Amino acid sequence: MTSVERHPYDVVVIGAGGAGLRAVIEARQRGLSVAVVCKSLFGKAHTVMAEGGCAASMGNANSNDNWQVHFRDTMRGGKFLNNWRMAELHAREAPDRVWELETYGALFDRTADGRISQRNFGGHTYPRLAHVGDRTGLELIRTMQQKIVSLQQEDFKEHGDYEAKIKVFAECTITELIKDGDRIAGAFGYWRESGRFVLFETPAVVLATGGIGKSFKVTSNSWEYTGDGHALAMRAGASLINMEFVQFHPTGMVWPPSVKGILVTEGVRGDGGVLKNSEGKRFMFDYVPEVFKGQYAETEEEADRWYTDPDNNRRTPDLLPRDEVARAINAEVKAGRGSPHGGVFLDIASRMPAEEIKRRLPSMYHQFKELADVDITAEPMEVGPTCHYVMGGIEVDPDTAQSSVPGLFAAGECSGGMHGSNRLGGNSLSDLLVFGRRAGLGAASYVEGLADRPAVPESDVDSAAKAAVAPFDEPKDADASENPYTLHSDLQQSMNDLVGIIRKAEEIEQALAKLEEIKARVPNVTVEGHRQFNPGWHLALDLRNMLLVSECVAKAALRRTESRGGHTRDDHPQLDSLWRNRLLECRAEGEDAAVVAKEQIPMRQDLFELFEYSELAKYYSEDELAGHPGGEA
Amino acid sequence: MSTSTTSDKPTSVWGSHESQPPVPDGAVSVTVKLLRFNPEVDSEPHWQSFEVPALPTDRVLNLLHYVKWYLDGTLTFRRSCAHGICGSDAMQINGINRLACKVLIKDLLAKKGKPTTITLAPIKGLPVNKDLLVDMEPFFEAFRAVKPYLITYGNEPTRERIQSAADRERFDDTTKCILCACCTSSCPVYWNDGSYFGPAAIVNAHRFIFDSRDEGAEERLDILNDAEGVWRCRTTFNCTDACPRGIEVTKAIQEVKRALLFKRV
Repeated sequence: MTSVERHPYDVVVIGAGGAGLRAVIEARQRGLSVAVVCKSLFGKAHTVMAEGGCAASMGNANSNDNWQVHFRDTMRGGKFLNNWRMAELHAREAPDRVWELETYGALFDRTADGRISQRNFGGHTYPRLAHVGDRTGLELIRTMQQKIVSLQQEDFKEHGDYEAKIKVFAECTITELIKDGDRIAGAFGYWRESGRFVLFETPAVVLATGGIGKSFKVTSNSWEYTGDGHALAMRAGASLINMEFVQFHPTGMVWPPSVKGILVTEGVRGDGGVLKNSEGKRFMFDYVPEVFKGQYAETEEEADRWYTDPDNNRRTPDLLPRDEVARAINAEVKAGRGSPHGGVFLDIASRMPAEEIKRRLPSMYHQFKELADVDITAEPMEVGPTCHYVMGGIEVDPDTAQSSVPGLFAAGECSGGMHGSNRLGGNSLSDLLVFGRRAGLGAASYVEGLADRPAVPESDVDSAAKAAVAPFDEPKDADASENPYTLHSDLQQSMNDLVGIIRKAEEIEQALAKLEEIKARVPNVTVEGHRQFNPGWHLALDLRNMLLVSECVAKAALRRTESRGGHTRDDHPQLDSLWRNRLLECRAEGEDAAVVAKEQIPMRQDLFELFEYSELAKYYSEDELAGHPGGEA
Repeated sequence: MSTSTTSDKPTSVWGSHESQPPVPDGAVSVTVKLLRFNPEVDSEPHWQSFEVPALPTDRVLNLLHYVKWYLDGTLTFRRSCAHGICGSDAMQINGINRLACKVLIKDLLAKKGKPTTITLAPIKGLPVNKDLLVDMEPFFEAFRAVKPYLITYGNEPTRERIQSAADRERFDDTTKCILCACCTSSCPVYWNDGSYFGPAAIVNAHRFIFDSRDEGAEERLDILNDAEGVWRCRTTFNCTDACPRGIEVTKAIQEVKRALLFKRV
């Protein structure tokens, strides 16, 4: 039998980003014992990279804001494909979560009267993003890390053990979830440092593993983003939804090559920066789509007045939702009006004094100065789309965050539904807080309600251990031996080129063939050395997850024959109201992904009536609109 | 620390599929000299050199990836966000503590086209686990010891605590810390005696001591007044030079010292 260290916990949270840490805090507050398992060091999670802010309708910067306006903006941004209950909970609860974070000690930029300041962002009607300069994610993670340290010190006073209730398992990777019958019974993984196996015996797992961006070549995502939670959930029998929707952030760095894809915050545009093509034209005015006509400024003069007088002017189209801006940049470059390195220009230098730029956007100033030798207070930045976020993820119950597998919960980027076909900037940090807390609560209630604890079947532990060491096996044919990094880079190139920002059927089919080919090569992956901290081995295991999740993206993208949000089909360029309420659900069949379509539950009437009939008519079919009172007029 | 030198050429296990990417235009060949250590086989660390094609705009992190991906898959180091926010890839680059994701090759190239050697070693003062990867636990232990969280007494507000822009600005500098350990592992006092809290822990105490909302300054100052506390600082400014976030670390330590003097004297 394999040697495996065992740890019993009430709840195991996989992932120590914003959603994971918020779930940990909540489950611990309910008195349960919680393990948090993360691939990186504690406090280094991908959430640190979030720059712009956390959306919440506190109304500090504009008192007209409220949860209904935030709800409407979120649904519009997602082109009405969002799980409306999640969007409702998110809009209602986000202000409380931000205030709560402030009482934990989070630093925020302040208004003149000392309240939390809020900034403008794409798709948000009012200035709504609570922020700390352009390092909001870092502060969010640090605050929750500090909160956990304080809870551990309380636990020490009471139990004589810092880790009596919360223990962090850092640099530890989970490779398999284990079930007892239908329900979750544990999680199996390995310590990255020693390579030794570890088994968590637990009735409840919260997945908070983030996204899938490392399957794409140009991405703002960090190395952890290999779709682990998505794949773990699928292999445990849960479903994913909306996997065809991948957000390409419009502004990533494009030069020099070594930093291509690194994010340039939307805060640059929120604070006054504008996009220009090689002819110096502010091209976004040409790209306001039909559904947003009338909501955005039509002249540069009006757009510029909006920054100081938002009540009497409409916002600049530079702040359209991200999918629209990314497509516009793509089109400008394709038309030959791009910048020297294949992007467009983002100009803040001519818009405000140098000192003001350094004060508002210090990280961006340093990032460009240090990495690209560009002074953003004197010259424009070069930017282009970069793979940033996956809207798709594990399908969960909105109120409890539980998946279709009893005991399996998910929150944050690895869950799906909240953002529909496109996420608004700033709605991710708030999503983490709102649904991280709900997942912690959901898991706690589930555990408290159990009549008996599940047992881990030993045979499943043995097979998980066997699968984990498979990459050390010599391939039958030594000449066929594969470098895991080469396979990873082939995968990234294929997804980037064939299932990227603009898609068409034949290219997606090519991608699927390529994925099959890569999958067939995976058994030949050979890793050198031993299990002691062996990055080649770690990647070989991550590859399995990336391939399964990439297949979901490609298969769902092929199926959806329309363009909506983060899914643009060159061969089906229009929004199609017949697709508006259709969700694509992915499940695992062995190592393959299968996709089925299903109908979305119609929006609750009181929420439905928050929208004008004329706006809904742009998205909904006539049948669906029948129940709206505006239609009778 | 004594080191032995080897000139072992790495051999790859990958068969006919092994392929290195084409060398881009404008690339120069640089020697990356790494301090390797594998506790399973080595009794001591040893230097190993690799020839790597590099663009002047590449960062040291790109070179490490090249070695790991194409020359020696066992090379171990931490990295995460890759642009200086997460603080995972602190290491000694030509003897100075830096983040590998923020140092450009053009700034390390030898003058007049002479051959360039870049030496990379783990940060000092923390136990080495493997290659460039050190055990960060003693560092985080010191961080936790200074009570790095908001301490307040009395009722919590229903919304936010009010804080003026000036009060918020007072401790802005020390909130920028990314816990990378560049400062602490550059401190000669910390090298000689690991029981000293080190600059990073003091920076994180400063962040709360000078936060107008916090009521735990006394408790933290008591901790820092300890034998292993701020008085061990010899003001060498290594920490300030090392900080990749530009935090005035030594100044923050001085401010904590001054707070102690004013409260006690």
